[in-house]
Amino acid sequence: MTHRLALLAGALTLLATMLTAGTASAQDIKLGTVIPLSGAGASYGASIQQGLDMALHEINAAGGINGRKIVLDVADDASDPAQSVIALQRLVNDNDDLVIGGWGSSQVLANMAVAERAGMPYIVVGASNPRITTSGNKWTFRTLTNDNGHAARLAQVVDLLHFKKIAIIYDTNDYGVGLRDIFLATLTRQGMKPVDVESYQTSDKDFTAQLTHIAAAEPEALMVFGTLPAAAAIMNQARDQGIEARFMGAAGVSNEAVMKLAPQASQHLIATAYFHVDEDATARDWAARYEQQFAQANQAPRPSQAAPAYEALKLIAAPCLAQAATDKDKLRLCLKDWHGKLFGLPPGDAHFDHTNQLIAPLVVEEVVGTEFKLLPGANQ
Amino acid sequence: MLAQLLVGGLGTGCIYALVGLGFTLVYRTMRMVNFAQGQVFMAGTFLGLFGAQQFGLPALPLLLLVAVISFVVGMVLERVVFRRLYASHEVFVVGAIGLGVMIENGFRIVYPEPLPFPKIFGAGVYHLHGAVFQKTYLWILVITLVLVATLHVTFTYTRIGRALRAVASDGEIAATMGVNVQRAIGATFGLSFAIAAVAGVLIGPLYFVSPDLGDMVGLKAFSAAVLGGINSVVGTIIGGLALGLLEALAAFYISTDYKDLLAFAILVVMLLVRPQGLLGRVVPVKV
Repeated sequence: MTHRLALLAGALTLLATMLTAGTASAQDIKLGTVIPLSGAGASYGASIQQGLDMALHEINAAGGINGRKIVLDVADDASDPAQSVIALQRLVNDNDDLVIGGWGSSQVLANMAVAERAGMPYIVVGASNPRITTSGNKWTFRTLTNDNGHAARLAQVVDLLHFKKIAIIYDTNDYGVGLRDIFLATLTRQGMKPVDVESYQTSDKDFTAQLTHIAAAEPEALMVFGTLPAAAAIMNQARDQGIEARFMGAAGVSNEAVMKLAPQASQHLIATAYFHVDEDATARDWAARYEQQFAQANQAPRPSQAAPAYEALKLIAAPCLAQAATDKDKLRLCLKDWHGKLFGLPPGDAHFDHTNQLIAPLVVEEVVGTEFKLLPGANQ
Repeated sequence: MLAQLLVGGLGTGCIYALVGLGFTLVYRTMRMVNFAQGQVFMAGTFLGLFGAQQFGLPALPLLLLVAVISFVVGMVLERVVFRRLYASHEVFVVGAIGLGVMIENGFRIVYPEPLPFPKIFGAGVYHLHGAVFQKTYLWILVITLVLVATLHVTFTYTRIGRALRAVASDGEIAATMGVNVQRAIGATFGLSFAIAAVAGVLIGPLYFVSPDLGDMVGLKAFSAAVLGGINSVVGTIIGGLALGLLEALAAFYISTDYKDLLAFAILVVMLLVRPQGLLGRVVPVKV
């Protein structure tokens, strides 16, 4: 009996040790992240987590921030706006010190009110609808160029490649509709009108009806304003229906997974992107380290999606955490005044404007084989 | 243009018909609706992907393998899960929905991202009156015809088919005539699983494989079964084909925004106006 009790006590001690091993201690900095690890945005969410993990391990390996380690608190929002509100509230309830994440404009537009109510610094690294930073939410920052920037760059490319017949297919969520409206306004200013505009829903699988309309309009370029996997399915089905238009899109299609889901159809897809490995030497060096670190991971490394998350933690949040510690108001004020270096920019050039929107350029890339390459002539 | 819509609609309609047949087979026998049917369809697609990638199986052996495995899984689940839910229709429906959620989330844990499905039916396309469609569509049509014909022959001319029909008609009397009712019910579930799983493999090359693949297909197949008559095999097939075609035409000529609405509007109207469906019959309640 005594022997059994001793065994039980030992097992309970071991269990308690295991349960507390991965949890934060009082002096740790708790970094929350709300990302989709399931649903339509899973491929984006996993990449964001990889970017955060990489930055976090580098910071902790170098002794943490003023001796304090960072621990990550992950909340999966299942790519759903309603669940993203609950997920962010959970991070607030967990007493996290700041949140980096937020993928999908509809999700962020829904959950950012939680950050404002709680006074939680929230750095968005995966949503581009302009309303996220123009609605007066002082706790929400965004490190990505918004859709005004994407639409302008896409319109420049249309001009550069002399496309006259443009068709649009857009997701009916906040991301797709926002991008459609801004791009249409930009086209109108250039004196152009699309030959066809079609819509779809994120969960749609069959696009025959929309593509039949588009095929009849015979566009030279087809703007796909949405995210994977639907965007890749549209490309596959368009080619199957004999549509030969050049596919174009914004950062929603700048995801290396597009080459896996649509290996043939995505060839020469043009996308506006936040990151490209050839931007400068620091980008190249980071991408090489990132790809090496996650080569054996469950999800293959996708630098285009991981880079903004890495930059947000390592280059933007970490200096502010060093300066303001975990005082949330001081942290927010520090972020507002932050000037620093991001991939592809000279030191001190990157900063947030008065709406907490990061001012940084976009790159234009195209799919060639199994890689994104900078589009010749579009990145001067 | 119309040909493109008709081919696409017919292909989708065949899938609704096959998944709907799963509903019909179980309903005819048990008077209960298995709402996990959509997830069985999804699991069939994953099984097909696994067979194609791991063993490099060509289309026909792959379809056969998926059918056999799914039949066995259906029988086992009937024995282990469904049999414990026969107490009432409410319990059965909630249990089936719960099982569907478990299947879907189980796959989601292992496969959080969509995966491409190999072109097991060939990579080429056919041209027909201005329409361009993948070879997969032809396979969907042919396999659907073969499955429906096989089911018809089995139910009409074979001993086991007559036993299944006898149990569907009246289990107690069938038992007195020497039919092993439990085994017949198990075979019915196995058959419904096998048909849905084969439909999953058929549609794989057209879409990506993902855990949510069966959500909408399952609900629309149920709608198709109600449209045609959930206790009628022929009615369900006609309901599936009609729904697929109507969806394609409505999406093109009205709006893609209302494509899903159409299926559920049909479901509501049929339940209100003619709950037995187009070809279904009213089954009197025994007292």
